[in-house]
Amino acid sequence: MFTSIFESLYNKVFVNIVVDRVKTTVYIERCSKNSILSEVEEVFNTTSITKEMKEFISLYISESPFHYISVLDTSSSQGGLPTCVKNKIPYYEDLTSSVSKCFDKKWTYYTSQEDLYLIERKYEKVGIDFIFSPFVLLTNFFKDKIDNNIALFVVIQDSCISLSIFSHSELLYAKHLDLVGDNESEDILMYDDHDDNDEIEIDEGIDLEGIDALEDIDSFDDFGDIEDLDSIEDNEDFLETADAEEAFHENMQEQEMPVRESESFNEDYQRFLLIQSAINDFYNNSKFEGLFVQNIYMADGIGVSQDLKRYLEEEMFMDVYTRQLDLPSAVCELAKMELGL
Amino acid sequence: MKYSYIKSRRKSILTPEFTLLLTFFSITIFMLLSTYSFLLYRDYSFIAQRKSMEMQRVVLNDSIDEMQESIRFIEVQSLLGERVYTQNSVLKESITNLFDLIPARITLSEATLLENGLILYGVTPNKDVYNFMLQAPLRSIFHKTYSSFYPTTNGWLKFVSTNYTQNEDMYISQEIEDED
Repeated sequence: MFTSIFESLYNKVFVNIVVDRVKTTVYIERCSKNSILSEVEEVFNTTSITKEMKEFISLYISESPFHYISVLDTSSSQGGLPTCVKNKIPYYEDLTSSVSKCFDKKWTYYTSQEDLYLIERKYEKVGIDFIFSPFVLLTNFFKDKIDNNIALFVVIQDSCISLSIFSHSELLYAKHLDLVGDNESEDILMYDDHDDNDEIEIDEGIDLEGIDALEDIDSFDDFGDIEDLDSIEDNEDFLETADAEEAFHENMQEQEMPVRESESFNEDYQRFLLIQSAINDFYNNSKFEGLFVQNIYMADGIGVSQDLKRYLEEEMFMDVYTRQLDLPSAVCELAKMELGL
Repeated sequence: MKYSYIKSRRKSILTPEFTLLLTFFSITIFMLLSTYSFLLYRDYSFIAQRKSMEMQRVVLNDSIDEMQESIRFIEVQSLLGERVYTQNSVLKESITNLFDLIPARITLSEATLLENGLILYGVTPNKDVYNFMLQAPLRSIFHKTYSSFYPTTNGWLKFVSTNYTQNEDMYISQEIEDED
């Protein structure tokens, strides 16, 4: 009782940490009961917590005892499953060494217990209150689209992508995929699909100069069972699936915020391959309900180039809609939701 | 709904700074309350002591009044004692003188000393002996003198001489009261 009284007297400080491959973004928001008092963002060129970062965070959290430090989970051993029934979960994934939570009694998101422990150890100097899954972030970010669409939803981060396929708010498929490291990116490998394997395997090297043709992608044959694609322009029903409203918003967004041209051509292509492989996995894996997916909604957390969208549109014949996503702010929103604000 | 993998740490307002502040204010408030309580106690003690001393003063005043009354009474008694002593001395002297005054021809059968007078019973050969030899000195001593004679069988006269002096003690008492 006294705590709630004091809680209403103090401002709340939300510290949100998003770790990329080489840098850490710390976004801090000071909130009163009804409004945001101030917000500050600082980027540190490190992935671990340094003295400078600790001092920066301590400066703000010392203002109020009611401070909450949130971290976005970027560990590789996470994912989502299309069920909350405990008996059915082992059918999809072995979660004995993972921590899982049920979302809205419909689907499950999970991550490795060891990774959670490592994150807590990593931030033990400042403490940590919340660790959020990118799948929850994605669901919250696209909640207006998830409820009434069959689509692939992707959160694009610097070092990974989290994708999920929803059919009218029912999760069908979810996957968290890491980009290959810098050293490996110079020798990017071509994806070669295997029907009976959940993991994405990249077996064959690729000549980046020859990417412009559909013929170069062997995996395109895997879409052969979707005959509609061959006559896509003539199919009026298919055209109805296009989200005109989202396209309009996307165009407006592009005009307002010009998307940076990718510094690394390889990275966008890698992302394309990862998305492509995930879709293949979804269609080919008998564990999942293989509904046809036409739309892709991308939450762009880093500012990818138009190449990725072009790849998806031209080589997979999908309608791609991109929304700019401020990852630290989105994590902050989750922290507020967690507290019921 | 809870989305985070981990639970939030318990938030407490008792930060080190707040604890220090709370301690400081607690000590200050405690000292103020202690001082206030001490002053209240002292105030109560002083009031009780004052009441007690006022009661003592009243008692002492009463006692002083009683003592002064006693002193006045004793002074009166002392004065009276002195008077009585003086009077007794005077009376003794007077009686001595009286008996010296009694002539040989008059025989006293009884003498009664009153507070303010003297009654003499006796036998005199005749009135003249009595008048000249006894009544004259008695008149000089007493303010009022009354004499009665009764004849006896042998021709002599029994006499009763009643002599009074004015009561001066009353005057003395009145004078003392007037002085007070």
